[in-house]
Amino acid sequence: MLLSVQGLRKSFNGRTVLEGVDFSVAAGELVAFLGANGSGKSTTLRCVMGITAPDSGSISIEGTALDTLQGRDLQQARQRMAMIFQKIHLVPRRTALDNVCAGALSRIPTVRSLSPLLFPADVQQEALDCLDRVGLADRAFDRVGRLSGGQQQRVAVARALCQRADVVLADEPVSALDPHAAEQVMALLRELAHSEGLAVAAVLHQPDLALRYADRSIGLLQGSMTFDLPSTEITADHLDTLYAPDRDVSDRKSAA
Amino acid sequence: MTPHTLTPAVARRSPSAQTRVALVRPKKPLRWITTAAVAAAVVGLHAVAIEGTDFKPELLVDGWKGMAAFIGDAFPPDLSWEKTLRPGLEATLVTLWIGLLGTTLSVPFALLLAALAAENTSPHRLVYQAARAILSFFRAVPDIVFALIFVTAVGLGPFAGVLALICHNTGVMGKLWAESMEEIDSGPQEALRTAGANRVQQVANATLPMVVPQFVGLLLYRFDVNVRSSLGLGLVGAGGIGLLINQSIKSFQFDSMLTHILIVLVLIIVVDQFSAWIRRRLAA
Repeated sequence: MLLSVQGLRKSFNGRTVLEGVDFSVAAGELVAFLGANGSGKSTTLRCVMGITAPDSGSISIEGTALDTLQGRDLQQARQRMAMIFQKIHLVPRRTALDNVCAGALSRIPTVRSLSPLLFPADVQQEALDCLDRVGLADRAFDRVGRLSGGQQQRVAVARALCQRADVVLADEPVSALDPHAAEQVMALLRELAHSEGLAVAAVLHQPDLALRYADRSIGLLQGSMTFDLPSTEITADHLDTLYAPDRDVSDRKSAA
Repeated sequence: MTPHTLTPAVARRSPSAQTRVALVRPKKPLRWITTAAVAAAVVGLHAVAIEGTDFKPELLVDGWKGMAAFIGDAFPPDLSWEKTLRPGLEATLVTLWIGLLGTTLSVPFALLLAALAAENTSPHRLVYQAARAILSFFRAVPDIVFALIFVTAVGLGPFAGVLALICHNTGVMGKLWAESMEEIDSGPQEALRTAGANRVQQVANATLPMVVPQFVGLLLYRFDVNVRSSLGLGLVGAGGIGLLINQSIKSFQFDSMLTHILIVLVLIIVVDQFSAWIRRRLAA
């Protein structure tokens, strides 16, 4: 397994958000995380990415646990993971190419990263190749702010590719996009998983997208996993447990 | 919490008149006392201030003749080319150059201090506090005081004015820039951090490019302000048209003074229009 996560726990100010989440993502696989607001989907990804520090749990990449690594080795292992954000987080005033180059910053000396004009030629060529892989090579020199939302999210995917990540964690990558653009981005993520062997984990708010694009879907309810099944085996009952008015469930929890 | 509480929106749409929500404003009995107290305090403060500034309108009424004579002497403005107009225009150019250099030459210092004094880009809490303190100092000392200090070092003339503006403007612009950096969306910076970029790379490739429009807008605003403050610097001997205005008042040549003031008026309108035009283009 390229990415495996065991016993992930996290609480904020005494409120438990994750109660032991275990999952793994293989190379060439697109896994969707489903769940209502506050179920812990995004926190899971942020803990794996290291943006939020988990209280406990182990994260391994290709069998090597990150907590056994230090310094440069840890940094290199972390850089095999890239994150895609709901709000895209590109710099709108810069060109698509310059934004994609920024994914390679960890490989560029600090002095040569002060301005896009100083970016090494081979990095720029690699960035253009990455844009080509997401189908936007022709927009390389357009400012990102001039691109549509779907195109911007594809540029963000290209930035992750330029980081040479083989694990892509996508936090609601299509929630801010119109339905057509959402289909395009999901198709792109599936394509990257299937034909380029990336391990992709995506938090999704639309179960129908998960069922159509993801190889596997994981359901989270109040910080615990309720199912981890091939998408073809997900039934309406599974989804109902996730999204049913959760009042009685939470009442039972707080009473317990 | 009961799940079926009737919300006001639902109640309003209810067909039955009996279920209408009665409009009863909650009474706040102490409100008029607060209002009266605030009003009394404001009036009291103004009474003290009028006393403290010798604010006596009757003096203005009694002394109108002096003012009329002064203004009468100033009209018509002296438009002789050799004696007034040409020196005035030349000195105005000097004033403009003082404002320009005072603004642009403070950019590197302001940029560095702003990056150190913004919470989201500063490398360390101590550096942040130190940078804030330096900026506060340069901001607190008025440019006129800096000019007086530099005049003692480099002598009378525009150079002292440029140095004074660099110091004061570094303080003001650094503060304004630091604040605009703190206000921008931190998402792109976080994205580069997760991609393994170091602090300098994050600032150079996310934070700074995100704030360019705000930076340029503030820079133009400061240019506008600095051209006007360099007039005041002339009054203390730091060159430019301010110096000529001061000289013409001291030698009772009020008609030349008026000419200089009119030239300044034109300069300020031109600078204002120019920076407004650039800011409009940036916003578009």
